[in-house]
Amino acid sequence: MSYSGKSVKRLYDDKFVTGRSTYVDDLKVNALYAAFVRSTVPHGRFKVSKEDALKVKGVIAVYTGSELNQIIKEGIGPWTTYIDPRPWKIPKWKFAEHETKYNGEPIAMVIATDKYSARDGADAVNVDYETMDAVIDMERASKNEILVHKELGTNIGYEGNFNAGDVEKALANADRRVEVEIGNNRLIPSPMEPRGIISQYDGINLTIWYSTQIPHFARSEFSRIFGIPESRIRVIMPDVGGGFGSKAHFIPEELAVIASSIKLGRPVRWTATRTEEMMATNSRHNVFKGEIGFKNDGTLVAIKGTLDVELGAYLTYTEGLQPTIIPPMIPGPYKVRDLAIKSRAIYTNTIPITMYRGASRPEATFIIERIMSTVADELKMDDVEVRLRNLVKEEQMPYVNPFGLKYDTGDYPTLLKEGVKVMEYNKMKEWAAEERRKGKRVGVGLAFYLEICGFGPYEFAETRVTEDGSVIVSIGGTPHGQGTETAIAQLVADELQIPIEKIKVVWGDSDAVPSGTGTYGSRTLAIAGSAAVASSRQALEKMRKVAARSMKADVEEIEYRNGEFVHKKEGKKVTWDAVAREAYSGREPGVTASVTLEGDVTFPYGVHMAVVEVDDYGIAKVKEYRAYDDIGRVINPALAEGQVHGGGTQAVGQALYELAIINENGQLAVTYADYFVPTAVEAPKFKSYFAEKYHPSAYLTKSKGVGEASLIVGPAAIVRALEDATGKRLNKTPVLPEELIK
Amino acid sequence: MLVEPGQKAKIKVKVNGVLHEVEVEPRKLLVDFLREDLNLTGSKVGCDTSTCGACTVLVDGKSVKSCTMLAVQADGKEIVTIEGLSSDSKLSPIQQAFKDNFALQCGFCTAGMIVQTHYILSERKEITEEEARDLIHGNICRCTGYQNIINAIMDASRRMRQ
Ligand code: FES
Ligand code: FES
Repeated sequence: MSYSGKSVKRLYDDKFVTGRSTYVDDLKVNALYAAFVRSTVPHGRFKVSKEDALKVKGVIAVYTGSELNQIIKEGIGPWTTYIDPRPWKIPKWKFAEHETKYNGEPIAMVIATDKYSARDGADAVNVDYETMDAVIDMERASKNEILVHKELGTNIGYEGNFNAGDVEKALANADRRVEVEIGNNRLIPSPMEPRGIISQYDGINLTIWYSTQIPHFARSEFSRIFGIPESRIRVIMPDVGGGFGSKAHFIPEELAVIASSIKLGRPVRWTATRTEEMMATNSRHNVFKGEIGFKNDGTLVAIKGTLDVELGAYLTYTEGLQPTIIPPMIPGPYKVRDLAIKSRAIYTNTIPITMYRGASRPEATFIIERIMSTVADELKMDDVEVRLRNLVKEEQMPYVNPFGLKYDTGDYPTLLKEGVKVMEYNKMKEWAAEERRKGKRVGVGLAFYLEICGFGPYEFAETRVTEDGSVIVSIGGTPHGQGTETAIAQLVADELQIPIEKIKVVWGDSDAVPSGTGTYGSRTLAIAGSAAVASSRQALEKMRKVAARSMKADVEEIEYRNGEFVHKKEGKKVTWDAVAREAYSGREPGVTASVTLEGDVTFPYGVHMAVVEVDDYGIAKVKEYRAYDDIGRVINPALAEGQVHGGGTQAVGQALYELAIINENGQLAVTYADYFVPTAVEAPKFKSYFAEKYHPSAYLTKSKGVGEASLIVGPAAIVRALEDATGKRLNKTPVLPEELIK
Repeated sequence: MLVEPGQKAKIKVKVNGVLHEVEVEPRKLLVDFLREDLNLTGSKVGCDTSTCGACTVLVDGKSVKSCTMLAVQADGKEIVTIEGLSSDSKLSPIQQAFKDNFALQCGFCTAGMIVQTHYILSERKEITEEEARDLIHGNICRCTGYQNIINAIMDASRRMRQ
């Protein structure tokens, strides 16, 4: 019996296809509804008058920051598990009181009996503004003429220098030097389920149903913020309709919901409208400007430049990752060792920025892949040849990159060569050239990536054998669409050699699962999966002991295979189920094993290719998308492929259509209708392949991770294909029709 | 129908075969009526611009985004939601096809996708991939990249022809 490696059907799909799924907004809780009044200026002092709102039918209360912040004791801070706050300048971030820092910021809260009345109440709140100078543009903000937070004395929230080797010398010795500017515009992650939260406080215990990727971190943050011990907070993650990194941070609206439920002693709920969701989570926006040096044979020898990362008005829980992860990942899979990168993070009077699928690796990959393509163009070399010249070789593994990151396993050049073949890159290139001769604007492009994922510091798992021999596996990972629960059940079924139907995987309830970190950064199968394998291995060992006890034998005499414990010498057998029952009749009832598995990063990699067509109006379409990845051992190919498809379609959005326009008034100037999340018509046809001869991670599962791959490398591949199609040089995403029009 | 401010309107609708005679606020959206008043939370709300299709239901056999219609406009009509597409806990061929083809990830778009597929395939059984893409382009999925959804639609149409 072996489940791993097979495309086992997802275990819990029935509820979704029949309409019985339960997202936060579907929960029936006798709660009041919240609505928010939002700032209409990017920076200003304000005064709220509640009188009219309080007269609205159904309105129970109107709260301002000064009331809410008595309960919200601490501000939102950075994710200290991954972000060292010491070099940062961090403004206090609670519910806005007197001064608003961005257009769209919540500045008052209305509680009512139903959501329509709450909206009516919010519309009836009167606000007077005294506007202040605002700075919307990141480059202007970096000059510090107008300050977002006066008390910080600067808009630069972080500045760090990432230096390796001797960049000046390398540049001086280079055959060629070229200036580059590479950027990603502001995006909106846009999970299909908008954020939502319900908070219930019974005077002692706080229960929170929350659309989140990180219920356990949420518990500890809420504990810190509200001054309530963790034991008295329960965070429950119901079905979550996508996250893409955007549901791993906290916003003032959510704190206000919790605060109001404590204040009123009644449950309060809030589900963001799509418009609110779009204002709650913006992402990306960063620019790299610099110079590169290379040899005439295509060897890249130096990268020097400044990376500016926008923060928006506040430092969110996750955004601090970006300016510290992008620079060390810029060398990517290539051998270049002389780099000097100044990395800055800049506050502006705009919607705060958070992480989005790939978080930092898409940026780093776009930068280095644009650089590779630039070298190729300058020297009239082939894209593949340039990369082969620069890729780290297998015999250099494990390779320590110039910033100290240790690439674990892989054979990058071989994968590239295989990928080119499997994806039929050369054939497609020729076909495109032929089409262009006929007057069509079609193009083919590829890009390579090296990802860092599998982040620790740890993950929790528990395996519990129940009385009838079925098994409950609790994981600290928190799948919300990826289907990792199925892959983990496959691993556990193999480990315990029992049918997968006997296994139930649970997650996302801080009372049911003692500890956990969550699902983000393509880490779940590697670290939570390995934790589940480890805890299952221990549970099996305990079962063996029980079997030995029941057969009055030594543990060493008992062998386990395919659901039976066998006495090696005597040949006596007891079934798994019988041993489970026996385990519950002894003095130490039950069989449970839990582990907290520590883990470290691992590095999957691959090459992706896009085929694009541009029409006379400059409207581009990705017709085909192909991927060849080494993601370590593949536990469930269909699930892995689903990640490539989904991320690839988001890459299409990032490369061509999606742009969170912020106007001069700091206002988000797109609706969901014109933000253009790709539909089935814009989505490409996919072909996804995984390297048969994979390179394993150090995790028990030998898997690496695939959740973000396509969004990490896709934009670079698509932009390269656009260049092939149009002959233009492009350097930022999205590439809009006005740049491509004939 | 004329209603004074603050008054409710009486409507008669059949939802998944059950007749409801109820009073609703005239401004209440059909999707909120289904979700809040009838507890049919299978239809989801993904947007406020009629863009996403997560709320798709059938109204007299035609697919409608239930966030673009008022409950009072459903008076006298027959509505089918995702909950009405399977009976006796047996999956419909379309539901089965979605499951078999890995056509969902987070599941939030799934109800709308399946109802829309139901509509598409009730109108025509033979379908090309291009047509399928075109006919579901009012339903957004942020997770799957659509290929498996298209595969599911094609698979379902095959199953329904057999
Ligand atoms: S909720 Fe109806 S179309 Fe989005
Ligand atoms: S499965 Fe998540 S939006 Fe479609």
